[in-house]
Amino acid sequence: MNALEVKSLTKRFNGLTAVDNASFSVSEGSVFGLIGRNGAGKTTTIRMMLNIYFPDEGEVLFRGKKTEQDFKDIVGYLPEERGLYKKMKVIDMLLFLSELKGKKGNQVLKSANYYLERFELADRKNSKVEDLSKGNQQKIQFIGTILHDPDFLIFDEPFSGLDPINTNLLKEIILEMKQKGKVVIFSTHLMEFAEKMCDSIAMIDKGKIILNGKLNDIKAKYASRNVSLDYQGNISFLNNHSLVESVEDFGNTTGIRLKNENTDQQLLKLLIENNIAIKKFNVDEISLYEIFISLAGKEVTDVQ
Amino acid sequence: MFNRRTLAIIKRELRTKLFSKSFILMTLLVPLFMILIFSIQYFIHSMSDEQRSDIIIVSDSDEILNKVENEIFQTSAFKSGDLTSRTEKSEINNFESKLNQLKSDLINQRVTGVVFIPSSALQTKEVKYYSANPNNSTLFYKIKPSINKALVEIYFSGKQLTQEEIKFARKDVDISGFRVSSDKEVAQEGYGNRIAMVLFSFLLYMALLFSGSMTMNAVVEEKSNKIVEVLLSSASSTELMAGKILGTVIVELIQMAIWLSPMFLLLTTSWFFIPAEFMPQMSIGYIFYFLFNYGLALITYVALYATVGAIFDNPQDAQSGVWPLMLLIMIPFFIALGLESNSQTSLAIITSLLPFASLIVMPARILMVEVPMWQVLLAIVINVVVLIGIFKLAGKIYRIGILLTGKKPKWSEVFRWLKLSN
Repeated sequence: MNALEVKSLTKRFNGLTAVDNASFSVSEGSVFGLIGRNGAGKTTTIRMMLNIYFPDEGEVLFRGKKTEQDFKDIVGYLPEERGLYKKMKVIDMLLFLSELKGKKGNQVLKSANYYLERFELADRKNSKVEDLSKGNQQKIQFIGTILHDPDFLIFDEPFSGLDPINTNLLKEIILEMKQKGKVVIFSTHLMEFAEKMCDSIAMIDKGKIILNGKLNDIKAKYASRNVSLDYQGNISFLNNHSLVESVEDFGNTTGIRLKNENTDQQLLKLLIENNIAIKKFNVDEISLYEIFISLAGKEVTDVQ
Repeated sequence: MFNRRTLAIIKRELRTKLFSKSFILMTLLVPLFMILIFSIQYFIHSMSDEQRSDIIIVSDSDEILNKVENEIFQTSAFKSGDLTSRTEKSEINNFESKLNQLKSDLINQRVTGVVFIPSSALQTKEVKYYSANPNNSTLFYKIKPSINKALVEIYFSGKQLTQEEIKFARKDVDISGFRVSSDKEVAQEGYGNRIAMVLFSFLLYMALLFSGSMTMNAVVEEKSNKIVEVLLSSASSTELMAGKILGTVIVELIQMAIWLSPMFLLLTTSWFFIPAEFMPQMSIGYIFYFLFNYGLALITYVALYATVGAIFDNPQDAQSGVWPLMLLIMIPFFIALGLESNSQTSLAIITSLLPFASLIVMPARILMVEVPMWQVLLAIVINVVVLIGIFKLAGKIYRIGILLTGKKPKWSEVFRWLKLSN
């Protein structure tokens, strides 16, 4: 069942179309990734999903109905640009964010203490936000996002500016949320994360959704003609070979795209005949990055 | 618009502001500041009084010289030593050379001035004053009555008049003001209401400017430190704005009530003693009216300031965009101050019914004259209507502006936001 359905969203700013007829859906209990380079329209789409921006066209359906305040109450949102009241005490800040969502009282206080403990900030709960380091402020922001136990979590570029330890902590929590059956939506330009964590994705480029669906399906669809290769030797003869559509060098591995399906064995034979020492020959493996490149073109530089 | 989210925002505003150092400081400092301003005014005023003046009275008539000197000896200024005078006789023809002799003394301020009273003054009452500073109204105020009395006495002494008649002629006119109101008694007017008017207007002016710019900076800060996006994922921009404004209004009303409490006690108890002429004639109802009106003014202006804050994303830009609002507070304030000299001008009556201006002029006017009840009510109705309109417009600008960062928007763009339907 679809928890959230985005239907033909369009948003223009001063004549510039930031999001252009975007449609995708997010199913219950899944981790969903909105993927695209910087400025592709991810944040604008998310803001429309949250009713922060009103779309010029299209609508967002939450369990079949137009999103209203009831959706805001059960969503936890971590914007890309984090912000807290600097002069407030950590604990007051957290309780205020929860109260806005309609949750207050002992239960909230208890879980605030639990999370502060877990993020190793229990001793700072009476400090002012501004006295905390930037990394710790991010942790507080993150706790504020999940404290009211939302059914939906929307993270906009959650990993930007996080150190490796916090990145892992965040990943842990996202997976935990998934296990609890919550819907996690995050936007990122880091394909690697999306690939590891998402059940489904939507790829957005210049405001348009260029790909959307279950990650497995997408990979299967794009993989059958793809070979990932580790080798020693010179494979430049493949560049103009009739079997091969394109050769992409990713440094450690090389991605080869075949012209026709089921010709991988012919390719293997060809490589052996040409005395290439093969370390790894992997059919049906394609990275999200490769898919993105093949769809959005090669000018992409800020996506890895 | 008013729900638990608005309430949560109001509560946060109250909690962070009421117990903040700046609130406590302001609450204490503003009365001190006002006392300081009034004392400085008083000090400057008395300084100009205390200025010692040494004058030389010159005349061609011994009689004039004697009489004038006698009168001056009786003035309080002479008795306190603030004024000294000597007389010199000189024929009219020689006066010019006499003046030349005194020139260096006048320029060096060893002599404050030379008063020349020719015998023709007995017909024309024309007197000449020579000084480095010829427009010394403080001095004129001290010596004019003496000269007048002397001239009147000499003039009438040749006529067959009784001493009483001369005394009457010598006497200056004394005007005392009585306030006519619908109350039965006609009260003699002291300085009380004028002082109270200046005080109240000043308080209103300062408090509005201050709370307005505080709110503006708070909104700019929320916008620039990005918390606003988090808040908007929970509440609507209208709820956010309403909560912010109402929170500020409640805090400021509490502060104003604290500032007015001495006034309240002055009117209701006998704990303080104030000379009758300084005691303002006002009812307790006025204090409540003032607070109510202040509440209206706060909502109006704080909403406007918050809107300006939402348009800009840094304090400098916001400061440069706020001047129309400051004029909207300052011009009525100066009109209100102008009521002190004449409170029944048509400017005062019109502005006390205009939107924005009436919020500041009307409470001042009520202190000075009896304003018909319908005008007071009309002003309130006008202000409430304007306030509702402002809330709507401000909400639209706020909603779009609050998430906009980067380039400073042009006013034309802001007007276009107003036209957007959602």
